[in-house]
Amino acid sequence: MAEKKLSKKALNSGFHRWYYGNLTCFSQEHMQTFGYLCSMLPLCKELYADDPDRMAESMDTYRTFFNTEPQLGAIIVGVTAGLEEARANGAEDVDSETINGLRAGLMGPIAGIGDSLVVGTVIPILLGIAMGMSGGGSPMGAIFYIIVWNLFAYFGMRFLYFKGYDMGTKAVEFLVGDIGNAIREAVTTLGGIVIGAVSASWISVKTSFALYNEAGEAYMVLQEKFDSVFPGMLTAIFVIFCWWLMAKKQLSPLKVMGLLVVIAFVGVLIGFFNPGLAY
Amino acid sequence: MSINIVQAIILGLFASLSSMPGLGGTSIGNYTLGRPLVGGLICGIVLGDIPTGILVGCAMQVVYIALVTPGGTVSADVRAVSYIGIPLAMIALKSYGLDPASAEGTALATSFGTMVGTIGTVLFYGTATMNLVWQHMGWAWVDKREYDKLPLVDYVFPWISHICFSLIPTVAMCMAGEPVVNLIKEKLPMDGIPMKTLFTVGALLPCVGIAILLKQIVRNVLDFIPYLFGFTLAASMGINLVASTVVAGLFAILIFKLKMLELRKPAAASSSAAADNGWDDDEEDI
Repeated sequence: MAEKKLSKKALNSGFHRWYYGNLTCFSQEHMQTFGYLCSMLPLCKELYADDPDRMAESMDTYRTFFNTEPQLGAIIVGVTAGLEEARANGAEDVDSETINGLRAGLMGPIAGIGDSLVVGTVIPILLGIAMGMSGGGSPMGAIFYIIVWNLFAYFGMRFLYFKGYDMGTKAVEFLVGDIGNAIREAVTTLGGIVIGAVSASWISVKTSFALYNEAGEAYMVLQEKFDSVFPGMLTAIFVIFCWWLMAKKQLSPLKVMGLLVVIAFVGVLIGFFNPGLAY
Repeated sequence: MSINIVQAIILGLFASLSSMPGLGGTSIGNYTLGRPLVGGLICGIVLGDIPTGILVGCAMQVVYIALVTPGGTVSADVRAVSYIGIPLAMIALKSYGLDPASAEGTALATSFGTMVGTIGTVLFYGTATMNLVWQHMGWAWVDKREYDKLPLVDYVFPWISHICFSLIPTVAMCMAGEPVVNLIKEKLPMDGIPMKTLFTVGALLPCVGIAILLKQIVRNVLDFIPYLFGFTLAASMGINLVASTVVAGLFAILIFKLKMLELRKPAAASSSAAADNGWDDDEEDI
């Protein structure tokens, strides 16, 4: 029997189905399972065109629950494409169990890295730069983000998918290995600095609290005192306070938002906050 | 400013494409069209005021800069933020006559958008629940080995979920928005406690967005230093965001090189031990 080899066309089709359809039919119960199933479909059809039983066995493999960070997760889909090809060629050590063990083992770590690297760092950095280009309502920033992010996502995912197919699990080792860690640490620092700059440029928490002398002149304007210590100090304090509530007190973002409403209300009542607007 | 039915339907279609799960896919739908900055551009084009759209989008983007939805638990829905919240905030700004670039304009937009976004989580759960129906049909087809029908489940039927939970709610809320905004304006004076609170909340809310992001990157207190460094660049030194990124990039390169050096050190040490006085020889060469 001639060795089966997935055609470039089938692989491309599998990739595009994952790129587009990883979450289109999301439910709380199955999450990305259907996206995965549809992505493997053209590959399995090509490998098992003449053997409906093996086709069914292979498709059943991908019925198992799957969920990860979809951009970085392309590498897992690529790895399984390679494994499926090996199984079609009769590799003895590849069966449904090994494939699903691998999927289950990889989806957690890849989701962790992907959420912090792609969603938590790369996207915010790009958005930060884009917001810097949006001064005065210019559409430049939004256009910049649309182009750069989509090129990055498409070609990045493509690269990961085909690396996963070619190299198997070795490709994943690169992501979680030492060089991967060094890159992540560098990018995280970059993200931290950019986000700091975004906070200072786009958030403005100010107090209107002041003490007045008998002549009605303000002799102590609290905001000025804050700014003389560290410009934007009140903004930084509030950000760190919210971080503390969520990271150390385990409050959900929604509860923190609720608490801010209370703080704002009390602050307005005692005169700490006053936007100073009137019709 | 008002929204007519055609504009509302266009916004509704974009709402269906964006968000998680959206029909534009994750990269194009959720992470491009769903971002408030991009939503601001699209709302600006549809409603005929790009600068206001962009500025409202930017204001809202700070709140949702780190919208990660681990395991599908959401605290806000981007389709609601971007295609219901932004248009309504634009209407409110026009109605109140506020400059969208001012701190007050930003605060009002943020308050409106976040309120809508929080309510919008209903849309997320609605879509995800309705998708269960299509998936149920899909499993039946897998059992019957009718695999060619599977793409229907992933690419076609979810449109029905989105017409029910993205398109129709967006059209309804955008159309109803203007009278509601006007009612609020009539009933609540701007120097009263409720509106003052609303504006103050609007200024405070972005702190939550940034804090969600910091939760991802801050492991110990020292990790706050890069953040505060960036803050200082912009607040004290007045460096803009693009320039700050360049400075940040330099630090990223330094850290990467240091880390790589750390990795090579054990290897270098063992090779120099093997070669007789390897380090000294190297120095003489220089």
